Amino acid sequence: MTDVADIHADIDALKEFRDALTEFRHAQREVVERGDQEIEVTRAGLEDKAGQWRSLLARREADFAACQLAAAAELAAGRPADCSAEATAVREAQERLDYIRRWQQRVEEEASTFRGTADRFRDLLDLDLPRTENHLLAIISGLQAARGIPVTGS
Amino acid sequence: MPARPDEDGDHLLRMIDSIWQKTQQHWLDDMAGHFDRAHWTPLLAESRTYLRALGECLEVMSTAQRDTEF
Repeated sequence: MTDVADIHADIDALKEFRDALTEFRHAQREVVERGDQEIEVTRAGLEDKAGQWRSLLARREADFAACQLAAAAELAAGRPADCSAEATAVREAQERLDYIRRWQQRVEEEASTFRGTADRFRDLLDLDLPRTENHLLAIISGLQAARGIPVTGS
Repeated sequence: MPARPDEDGDHLLRMIDSIWQKTQQHWLDDMAGHFDRAHWTPLLAESRTYLRALGECLEVMSTAQRDTEF
C-alpha cells in the first residue's frame, strides 16, 4: 500500500477532478434515462401506428365485404360491379400493418441487444463510479491530513 | 433542437477526459498510474462502448419511426 507521504499530487486538482467525476456521473445518468426513454417512445409510437392500421384494416375489410354483397346483387340483376378498389385498400392496410409489425420485431431485437451494454454501464455509474469517487476522496483526505490541512466536507 | 443523448454523452466524456488529462499533470506518483489503469481506463472504455451501442440503437429507433410514417 502506498503511504500518503509517497503521493505527489495537487490537492485542488484532485478535488476538482473528483467533483467533475460526480457531475459526470449525474449527467451520464440523464443520458441513460433519455436513451431508455427514446426506446420507449419508439415502442409506443409503433404500437400506436399498429393499432391505427389494425382499425383501418378492419374497416376496409368491412367495406370490402359490403361491396362484395352489393356486387353479388348487381351481378344477379345483370349489372356490372367492381370491388377492386376496396380489395386494394384491404391489401394496402394489411401490407402496412405487416411492415409495422416487422419494425416492432426489429426494435425489440435491437433493444434486447442494447440492454446488456446499458445494464453494465448503469452498474458502472451507480456502483463503480461512486467507489472511485470515494477512493479519490480517501486520497484527498489522506493528503490533507499529512499536510496538516483541515478536512472540509466531502 | 436538443442533441441526441449519445452525442451529449460523448461530449461529457470528452470533457471529463480533458479534466483527467489536466489532473495527471498535477498528480505525479505511482498511485496516479494505478488510478489510470484500474479506474480511468475501464471507465473510458465502458463509456465508449455504451455510447457507441446507444448511438446504433437510437439510429434504428429513428429509422423505425421514420419508415413507418405513411
